[in-house]
Amino acid sequence: MGMIDVARRHRGTASIILAVAAAALVAGVSVGAQADDDWWSPDSGRTFQASKDYGNPGGILRVLLKDGPMETRGHPFFSAVGPSGRACVTCHQPADSMSLSAKSAQDRWDRTAGKDPLFAAYDGSDCPTLPQAERASHSLLLDHGLIRIQRPWPAQDVAGKPIKADFDIEVVRDPTTCNSGGFGPDKGKISVYRRPRPVANLKYLLAVGFAYDPKQGMPLPLDPESGKPMSGNLMADGRAGTLNAQMRDASSTHLALLKHMDAADMARIVDFESRVFAAQQIDAAGSRVDTGGAEGGPAKLANSEAGQLGSIGRPVWSEFEAWEKPAPGLSPKQAAFRASVARGAKVFRDKTFLISDSAGINSPIGFGNPVRNSCVFCHNMTQMGNDVAPGQVDLGTTNQPFADPMPWLPLFRITCKGPPHPHYGRVIYTSDPGYALTTGRCADVGKITLQSMRGLSARAPYFSNGVAKDLRGVVDFYERRYKIGYTEQEKQDLVNLMSVL
Amino acid sequence: MRAAAALVLLATGAGAATPDSTVRFITCPIYRDADSGKKSGCWLADDRATGLRYDVSVSPSKPDWNHEVLVEGNVSSGARDVCGGVVLDAVRTSVLPGPCTRQMLPAEGFTGRKFVLPVRNVRPAAVPRDTPPGPYAARSFHLFFDFDAAFLIYQYDDYLLDEAITWLRAAKPRAITVTGYAATIPTNVSGRMIAEDPAIARVRAEKIGEALARLGIDRRTIKVRWRAAGGPVAVAEADDLPDASRRRVDISAVF
Repeated sequence: MGMIDVARRHRGTASIILAVAAAALVAGVSVGAQADDDWWSPDSGRTFQASKDYGNPGGILRVLLKDGPMETRGHPFFSAVGPSGRACVTCHQPADSMSLSAKSAQDRWDRTAGKDPLFAAYDGSDCPTLPQAERASHSLLLDHGLIRIQRPWPAQDVAGKPIKADFDIEVVRDPTTCNSGGFGPDKGKISVYRRPRPVANLKYLLAVGFAYDPKQGMPLPLDPESGKPMSGNLMADGRAGTLNAQMRDASSTHLALLKHMDAADMARIVDFESRVFAAQQIDAAGSRVDTGGAEGGPAKLANSEAGQLGSIGRPVWSEFEAWEKPAPGLSPKQAAFRASVARGAKVFRDKTFLISDSAGINSPIGFGNPVRNSCVFCHNMTQMGNDVAPGQVDLGTTNQPFADPMPWLPLFRITCKGPPHPHYGRVIYTSDPGYALTTGRCADVGKITLQSMRGLSARAPYFSNGVAKDLRGVVDFYERRYKIGYTEQEKQDLVNLMSVL
Repeated sequence: MRAAAALVLLATGAGAATPDSTVRFITCPIYRDADSGKKSGCWLADDRATGLRYDVSVSPSKPDWNHEVLVEGNVSSGARDVCGGVVLDAVRTSVLPGPCTRQMLPAEGFTGRKFVLPVRNVRPAAVPRDTPPGPYAARSFHLFFDFDAAFLIYQYDDYLLDEAITWLRAAKPRAITVTGYAATIPTNVSGRMIAEDPAIARVRAEKIGEALARLGIDRRTIKVRWRAAGGPVAVAEADDLPDASRRRVDISAVF
């Protein structure tokens, strides 16, 4: 039954999945019930299990609920609380590592003829003004896994007070029609399109490793509610520094609530979100990632201290160091895959390249432009691969000329009114100004917060704008951007590494 | 000045540099891709007036190959040349707005320096700080900045601020005065007159006032003020770089 379920979800990779599911059964783990059960609709009244496995193209993801299981009936994360009929779980699906894959959105469209609350006009379509019954009106969600994010313009501080920006923003291209007419900067609304971030392993994203933000040259800002420093790693554009702030933002936008959630509901959601851990448990070759001396999988995450800097503690992805040595009893395929993962971890840590013209790395922090380093320069948190410091960095995924062509996205022209941008000059073309929509600073245009690298196999496509359709696409982007010179073997090793995280 | 006592000359190409002398010039930086691993690349800067090439790699904040750089440093009296320039062993490099054509040299046999964590590095937040011993009395701390900048320099100012806040938390002064300074007196560097924008003194002071508040100091005890024409300060943290020390913030504890 489990094998049938997994094969249905990923027909294109049936042979791999069958092998993986067989291995899972041998290992004594559940691979789920039926295909429909992988999708959590609001108010389903189901039990969130303490441990549940879900198939994906890279093997099997495991989602743990520490101190679980939990009944979800009436729980605010799982309840449709607004007029759209959505719940938090709609866009944070357990099978997708508590995010949302484009594949799941496509399946949902096919199963419900576009009637699922996921496709709510407000942000589950390219623009609310489009004819909602047509698939084309939801193309960004269906084809790229993107949700519409409407940001106020001018940018606002945490109290809702307008920030005086040091740049002007104009709309150059508006394929979704949601940055013109009744929308757009002239109407105080800027629409950008982003992937939902995973609501799992959050203690790592909330961890404060150091008291200072080296990218901003200041101590970390304080949460107005608790008075404690905020990690700065939650949202792509840094607009919410705490889970409570994120909930207020999401409830008034994605859930279309007219009022904020009450304190009791928010406390229940925080409690749930703080206990969810998700990571790949079984790899594409059918091996558990916590065997043979390796320490992958979500259980290790749930029981480890968060916020450790790999360079002064346990190196990033050293969980797979034991796989550097061949182990007896493995099939040739399993042995080769493990060796590749172990090599990928070393390439990730040790293959250096010149990083240049990337705000948040090469400016204003004084690393220099350029600076030689490897992937772990930014992906430096042990076990998670996000940035211990607040991770607002411009990799060029949204800014021209580094961004890949994305004619389906809006294009904005940014004109810096004060000092020019340190790397782009006075005028910047971008599909998403990112952090600058929060700070109002030209120097922050295109900065996107690094996120967790766990559960990647379950939640394609990648980058905040979904421009990398698979893990190879991620590697290829970096190769183009920084002219790294990866060999074909190194590229595959990195893909295999990321697939088991 | 250190230069007065120097007797030995370091021969480098057509010119010569005097050990322990101080240099100050503006130029376009050169990056040498000496690959000894992470952060091992060399930063070189040619003083066009003397024809000498300096190794400015140990500056806490590094150059940007797209922009001019103000170099302020002291010539080392014995450091080995691993980059292809006279080593400045105490040096600041301030990125200036002026454009440069980016220039990168290959290693050409120069190894660069394998990265080691600087002495001035902030420990993780979870690591307990030793309580500075009392008795506590009036005391000042100093933070130093790049030219026309108010950015807390990584692995320099953050370390100095961490030292200050650790002492202030223990000493619990009645009040704290934060004074920002700007180096507004014009000086001739590489044939041009440079002076900081007076407004940067206020920006520096207000940023450090906010920084102290974020680190737990009661805002009501913090008094922020600013001054132009900053003079030098001779403290160990200034690394014997008097011109750079004019660009600073003083944090003074009042009992």
